[in-house]
Amino acid sequence: MNEQLLSLVTQYGPLALFGIVGIAAVGVPLPITLLLIVVGSMVSQGAMDIWLAMAAASAGSILGDQAGYAIGRWGGTAAVAKLTGFLGKKGSLDAMEAKARAWGGPGIFLTRWLLSPLGPWINLASGTAGYPWHRFLFWDILGEVTGAAVYISLGRVFSDRVMALDGVLGDMTWAVGALLVAVVLGYQLWKRLRKR
Amino acid sequence: MADNSRRTLAIALAFLLAIAGALLFASRASRQAHHLRTANEPIHGWMSIPFIAHTHHVPSSMLFAAIGVEPRQPHDHRSVRHIAHELNRPVPELIAQLQKAIDAAQPPGGKPK
Repeated sequence: MNEQLLSLVTQYGPLALFGIVGIAAVGVPLPITLLLIVVGSMVSQGAMDIWLAMAAASAGSILGDQAGYAIGRWGGTAAVAKLTGFLGKKGSLDAMEAKARAWGGPGIFLTRWLLSPLGPWINLASGTAGYPWHRFLFWDILGEVTGAAVYISLGRVFSDRVMALDGVLGDMTWAVGALLVAVVLGYQLWKRLRKR
Repeated sequence: MADNSRRTLAIALAFLLAIAGALLFASRASRQAHHLRTANEPIHGWMSIPFIAHTHHVPSSMLFAAIGVEPRQPHDHRSVRHIAHELNRPVPELIAQLQKAIDAAQPPGGKPK
């Protein structure tokens, strides 16, 4: 399926990009980082306009994120249960809700681009936790525009090395994720040892 | 009390595991980044001929000629998979033909600038 999605973007450009990133933002696992790098490469080859690419990637993602938030906030328990079941473990939503409350805006910002696999969960959890919509929208726009700019620019710079760059970024995302987990666990450990 | 110690130990182990994971992925990323400029970019079915030409620093007209296809004007962004479907030929066969043309165009031991 990934091959077909990528060929849709190389053939149909911004319109396909808009649709695919929107679907991914709701929670369908699609290779968005690779897609944006490919788009950056296409921009450097003159096959796509950079502003159009940026607008399509940002607008599609923001709309998808807003849909996730709206389902969490106003969708009712049945819709939320359906989407959490689709995203993975149902029990994880409570944990994500707690994270959404604790991380707040910076959490929303970072899960748009640096820790993007958590993005759909945070959208839903922000909605169910009743995080104010205008703040969610602000951090969402900031994060998605940053993500589009970072990955499309990287694709432009490494336009002839898209697959290799995708491998590097994939490992870097895991490294940052593991590091964040280590920081949280380290803090908990430090608190426990201090109590003794 | 024993439960508390066990929980602390579990957190400490998870912490060490997370640190090990972060180091492992960071080292993998840095190793891949080191070879970023020299690694060979594989050809995939989703790529268009101009895209493959760009990643391998060869003229796209040469690649179109190698697979016997007349490029559409002004831009031909059909994917290899799409072209293979139109020609009623298997995708791997077309990719092999493109790879052969690229290998022939590149000087031994390196890529043309």
